Amino acid sequence: MESKSSAVKAITAEEFYTAHGRQLGLKLEAGAAGLRRKIREATVNRPGLALAGFFRYFAWARVQVLGSAEKAYLKSLSSDERRRRIQEFFKRRVPCVIFSRNILPSREFMEEADAFHIPLFRSPLLTGRLINSATLMLDMDFAPKKTEHGTMVDILGIGVLIKGESGVGKSECALALLERGYSLVSDDVTRVYVLDGRDLMATSPEETRYLMEVRGLGLIDVCRVFGVGAIRSEKRVDLVVTLQDAQKMENIERVGMDEEFQEILGIAVPHVGIPVSPGRDLARLVEVAALDQKLKTMGYNTAKEFNDRLIERMRSEAKG
Amino acid sequence: MKSSASGGDDHRQPLNRDVVVINKQGIHARPAALFVKTATRFESEIGVKKEGEVVNGKSIIGLLMLAAGQGTKLTLSANGRDADKALTELAKLFDDKFNED
Repeated sequence: MESKSSAVKAITAEEFYTAHGRQLGLKLEAGAAGLRRKIREATVNRPGLALAGFFRYFAWARVQVLGSAEKAYLKSLSSDERRRRIQEFFKRRVPCVIFSRNILPSREFMEEADAFHIPLFRSPLLTGRLINSATLMLDMDFAPKKTEHGTMVDILGIGVLIKGESGVGKSECALALLERGYSLVSDDVTRVYVLDGRDLMATSPEETRYLMEVRGLGLIDVCRVFGVGAIRSEKRVDLVVTLQDAQKMENIERVGMDEEFQEILGIAVPHVGIPVSPGRDLARLVEVAALDQKLKTMGYNTAKEFNDRLIERMRSEAKG
Repeated sequence: MKSSASGGDDHRQPLNRDVVVINKQGIHARPAALFVKTATRFESEIGVKKEGEVVNGKSIIGLLMLAAGQGTKLTLSANGRDADKALTELAKLFDDKFNED
């Protein structure tokens, strides 16, 4: 199982175009020869000041977004001056340029983009919307990500990643959870990535989305068998549950006062290990673990609250 | 301290041992878990008695219910082939203050 993690350092303009072109409505207008250029920062830049000739602190490594303001400014210049400013801008080797609001770039812009090999796109989105969407997409492209061997389900809003060795019963467990009305994000192979440097998000590989392999039954299309309510494309991982052979488990938690965490991509996610033995209703256990986790995130640790009360009671009895 | 074990292979007669809770916080969740974890390693039935109330020594909830604070006297009982060894190890937990304090 692949489990290498990597923070993406750069993506090419072409990768950006291929991955998000449709959603952003991008149309390549010029500079196709430069599609291999690399975007090195996960955000966008409005190059107004740069076009005005101020290049100190110019965020050249970002996707450059031009809107009505830049258009109006460039239009106010003479053709020669405009060309000179565009050349100065392109000399900084920006990775690509997007005009918002379907603004048609001036002739000078197109020609220089071709000359400098800088991809020039047009998008019908309003500038603000374009910036927001592109930033989110870039954030995701650059996010640390990896593949986890596990089944991801959503139990009443709690994202639970069920891990464990092959054959321990992850899929059967997920199946039983689906029957209880919860939803599946992915079976067996789960892609995780870090959102905003804070949340661990899980989704499924495109190819196997909503497919489940159950021993003895083969592949099951969850969406068709259980309906669209039983699927979810993405969910934050709130809890990791590891199903383990009870015989092999050395330390079985009996109180649950110490919260245990498992680190995935640098994010510490609460973790519980559930011993598997014949006759245990795993789905039920995972369900309760999820609900208990919900209580904990609400600030209530059952074991700890109980224990504090108990210790207090014993102390007062000892005194009295 | 110890009642006499019945002879031979017949161990239906339980062994008893008196202990005192000396750790400061009493038998709260952590000591209870440690006790149960130790007790379940033995096949003997383990009982814990406080003032006439007996609970199963392999049940955390049972032990917690006793609310045995510092200074409480308890009687441990064990019934089975490894009863003697079980009592020795369990009594040691009390002496060791459950690795607390």
